[in-house]
Amino acid sequence: MSLIQISGLKKSFQGTEVIKGIDFTLEKGRCIALLGPNGAGKTTTLRMLSGLMNPTSGTISFTDAKKGEDIRDLIGYLPQFPVFYEWMSGLEFLSYVGKLAGLTSKEAKERSLELLELVGISDAKNRKTAKYSGGMKQRLGIAQALIHRPQLIMLDEPVSALDPIGRREVLDLLEGLRKETTILFSTHILSDAEEVCDEILFLHNGKIVESGTMTELRERHQQAKLDLYFKGKSEGYTPYFSNHELTLSVMTEGNRVSIFVRDIALARKAFLQEIAERNWPLEKFEVSSMTLEDVFMKVVGK
Amino acid sequence: MEELAKYAPILAPILIIQLILFIVAIIDLVRIEKTNGPKWLWALIILFINIIGPILYFVVGRRSN
Amino acid sequence: MSQWMTLLQKEMLEMWRNFKWIWVPITFILLGVKEPITSYYMPQILDAVGGLPEGAVINIPTPTAAEVLISGLSQYTTLGVLIIVLTTMGIIAAERKSGVAAMILVKPVSFHSFVTAKWAGSMILMWLSFFIGYLSTWYYTGLLFEWIPFSEFFQSFFFYALWLTVILTVTVFFSASLMAPGMSGFISLAVAIIISLVSSTLSNWLEWSPAQLTTYANEILMDKEIPDSTLPASLLAAVCIILLLYFSVFIFRKKELAA
Repeated sequence: MSLIQISGLKKSFQGTEVIKGIDFTLEKGRCIALLGPNGAGKTTTLRMLSGLMNPTSGTISFTDAKKGEDIRDLIGYLPQFPVFYEWMSGLEFLSYVGKLAGLTSKEAKERSLELLELVGISDAKNRKTAKYSGGMKQRLGIAQALIHRPQLIMLDEPVSALDPIGRREVLDLLEGLRKETTILFSTHILSDAEEVCDEILFLHNGKIVESGTMTELRERHQQAKLDLYFKGKSEGYTPYFSNHELTLSVMTEGNRVSIFVRDIALARKAFLQEIAERNWPLEKFEVSSMTLEDVFMKVVGK
Repeated sequence: MEELAKYAPILAPILIIQLILFIVAIIDLVRIEKTNGPKWLWALIILFINIIGPILYFVVGRRSN
Repeated sequence: MSQWMTLLQKEMLEMWRNFKWIWVPITFILLGVKEPITSYYMPQILDAVGGLPEGAVINIPTPTAAEVLISGLSQYTTLGVLIIVLTTMGIIAAERKSGVAAMILVKPVSFHSFVTAKWAGSMILMWLSFFIGYLSTWYYTGLLFEWIPFSEFFQSFFFYALWLTVILTVTVFFSASLMAPGMSGFISLAVAIIISLVSSTLSNWLEWSPAQLTTYANEILMDKEIPDSTLPASLLAAVCIILLLYFSVFIFRKKELAA
């Protein structure tokens, strides 16, 4: 069942096209990561979906939205840097937005307490939000996005600003939320996307360059890859590999050379022989499968 | 003494609300996280500039949101 | 309606938490009592300050009660307006600048309610503070000079407050249209000053200008009757207020919340 359909979405700022026409459909109950390097247009895309920005052209349509219904009823949104009324406590803020979203005072309070429990900041419910730490603000932000039980929650870089512990906790929280609602979250960190989501949209320079579920992506981009680790810098060895007839492409990073090859078996034999003959200081030899990072690097054309 | 008794009913209420203003400004300054400009400066302004000091603090010194 | 009340309640609570409900009325009272008290004690003050040569007769005519009330009102034209503008200028601009407006408006909140509830909140604060302040001017004038009939006091209060409402609404309008609270305050003050100056210099032609309501409030106190142009000027003020509010919502809705 599709939840939301986006077609031909474009956005320009002062004549510069930032989002260059994107189309995608989100399925109900999935967790989708909007992945892309900084400046790819992730925040702009989410802002348009949440109604905070108007697209220059294109349409966003919710399958379930009745005619004339305010789509803000159906979505919850957490900006990258959530801000609250500093003079309110966490509980007050949640109840306030709950009431604004149409809950009665009693419902709003009950739902707020429930959510504060869920995101793990019950202890701080009566503290002023001015005194909240970054992680607590992020959690309160997630709670406010969920307050009216929206069909879709959109989170803009929910873990980038957090320390490792906070990041772990928020990722676990997202994992738990998957059962309740559809999640679309943006990130530039591949492992986060890989861990929590079942579907990925790669955004690069304002375009969706690749998308699909993790398995689909792996299959599509499956390539034989060899990782060779040398003692010291590896650049000196690249010319040999890149000129080899079995090689498709080579990437070098530090002491590692990654080689995409036509045939794993042949390449292994040829390379190992060559290395032994030349007496190169090989430390580790690895036949690896594509990681999300490789897919990412490949689709953004590096 | 007689003079004082004559003026007291007129001036006393004004002194009282002035005092309230002063106390509220001090309480707020103590409780507030940050002010526009250094906090100690606002403390001096509230303490030493009668009436105008506390008002100035509320209008300019208090950071909104 | 219930959403609008929720928004208004939030404004009220905020003004209580940041002590606006205490300091604004007190400031208005202090502004209000200054005039009757200094006029009354002027001879003693001069005496106490001294400096007058021996035998010099202090000859200051005692002002009438109406004159005292009028100069009391003039305090609000200057300092009162300044305080209204300074306390209102950030009402929308600051929330948008900090990003909290975006947090609220991704919820199904009507833009119309968001703006008008804020306006209503500052209106209630302004009318109440001005009423208490001016009431104390009236009370002290009665105590120290002569009692002015309450109905005249109340009429002058009402028309004067109507002009203050225009200024407040202008400030809300600029707060909704501009991102920087300081800039919206500055422009609002400039607009208020220009309207007042133009209306008073061209008073013959601009009898219906809302800024003339201050003059009519004074005339009510002096002549004990409501000048003819008061009604059209009031109606024009009401029209200005409604239009400004309408455009505030319109511009605020057009602007993208995320910069």
